[in-house]
Amino acid sequence: MSDIAIRVVRLGKRFNLDRPRRGNATRELLEDVVRAPFRSLSSIFRQGIFNSNGRQPNNDKYFWALKDVSLEIRQGETVGIIGSNGAGKSVLLKILSRVSKPTEGYAEIYGKAGSMLEVGTGFHPELTARENIYLSGAILGMKKAEINRNFDEIVAFSEVEKFLDTPVKHFSSGMNVRLAFSVAVHLEPEIMLMDEVLAVGDNAFKEKCLNKMKEVASEGRTVLFVSHDMKAIEEFCNRAIYLSNGKIVIDGETEKVVSQYLVKNHG
Amino acid sequence: MSIKERTTTANFYEGKPVITIRPPKGLVPLELRDLWEYRDLLYLFVWRDIKVRYKQTIVGTSWAIIQPFIAMIVLSLFFGKLAKMPSEGIPYPIFAYSALVPWTYLVNVLSQSSNSVVSNRAVVTRVYFPRLIIPMTTVLTGLMDFAMAFAMLLGMMLFYGILPTAAILTLPFFLLLGIATALGLGLWLAALNVKYRDIGFTLPFLTQVWFFVTPIAYPSSLVPERWQAIYGLNPMAGVVEGFRWALLGKTEAPGMILAVSVLVAVCLLIGGLYFFRHKEDTFADVV
Repeated sequence: MSDIAIRVVRLGKRFNLDRPRRGNATRELLEDVVRAPFRSLSSIFRQGIFNSNGRQPNNDKYFWALKDVSLEIRQGETVGIIGSNGAGKSVLLKILSRVSKPTEGYAEIYGKAGSMLEVGTGFHPELTARENIYLSGAILGMKKAEINRNFDEIVAFSEVEKFLDTPVKHFSSGMNVRLAFSVAVHLEPEIMLMDEVLAVGDNAFKEKCLNKMKEVASEGRTVLFVSHDMKAIEEFCNRAIYLSNGKIVIDGETEKVVSQYLVKNHG
Repeated sequence: MSIKERTTTANFYEGKPVITIRPPKGLVPLELRDLWEYRDLLYLFVWRDIKVRYKQTIVGTSWAIIQPFIAMIVLSLFFGKLAKMPSEGIPYPIFAYSALVPWTYLVNVLSQSSNSVVSNRAVVTRVYFPRLIIPMTTVLTGLMDFAMAFAMLLGMMLFYGILPTAAILTLPFFLLLGIATALGLGLWLAALNVKYRDIGFTLPFLTQVWFFVTPIAYPSSLVPERWQAIYGLNPMAGVVEGFRWALLGKTEAPGMILAVSVLVAVCLLIGGLYFFRHKEDTFADVV
């Protein structure tokens, strides 16, 4: 059991579809402020008595983006998560990267995890490329020494050496993406959570990114990779999980899972 | 509360950090240790905001001084000269300016922090870090403007020939009180603004009213003795009177007002910290 990297147990995420109406919103605001501390207490009581979340909410008003998802990922595995839009892939990744909280179930992460949930996270348009490398690196969880160590490599990879001291607002979107990806791909966490990062940039740069990611994976790091790009998934992952409507359809060898997904969606 | 009930727990398993992600339940702990782990990020956010604050402006950092200085001129003209407002034997301009320095700090921090989580949406929805860092950044960033306006204040003291007494040693305490007030209220506003953007519309109005219930244009001694304790419920009353006393050597130290102000500021801060932490779990979904 010691080689486990991620364990997800009966994970669920519920969204509220109810939009607050005018009159209610004011009341809700007041309730929010006044009752916040008491609600915390009462949830402790409720939990103690019913051992659940209390009342079961009306299902019309809620939407389960993720329901009853359980999986285990071992160290060094590269796992692709596929599924059509709204299947719950990004929600799963957001929960695992601690951005969003689950509604039920739990997840355990063994080791330092880093996430790339979209390129360019934390870039500030007014700052130069050099400054943004440090800022974005820190936001993604790198220590300053780590960034210093990788700085030249990041710059070389991004191919923007000439514009290091130019504010990135003057960059083309392609340059922005290259710089952002270069920072993110030089993260050194044991577990890497990636969402759709390859959906950007030209083909040559895509190819370069894919190679870099393969290199990362071959170093024995665990990678969880969400994408719509079946080619990238097949090339890169040795296991895939197909999600649909917030549930796991199948989980297994990449080829098998991808072909099943293609049959269901295009067949 | 047992470890199991905490929303996120970091333990170790065979030398590796293990993070457990659970649905939020019960009173969310502040996890100040986690905050300490991320101090590099706090530093970088402050650095970013200072760097960016006066980009594409003509007078740049001078804005930090222009704001309170012009307010001082207007107050001196209308309240000092025309209304002949008493100023406890202190020249009215410096009487007003010494209050405007902490006041401007508060107003700036509140307008920044109330919007801080929303304006950092891109990071909040994509990366984990202790969200408390966001409003804390605005409180620290504001200190730069404060420092400049304060230097101006020292210059004015020199000009008016007011020498600071030993009371100046208590100034850091009053600054801390101002910071606590700004952060405490900023936390509430930042968390509420994520869901209710009404906050942005309310704030200018709120600060306008607040300006008049704070002894900026007038001394707090105008307030009758028996109302002083209630007057102190406004923590900025304690801050402003403290600044005047510490710097200008006013005869009487702020007693009752200050005691009440400190109490209110501490409650505001602790309440704000827990409220923010309580709301934090939904930021990424709601913002």
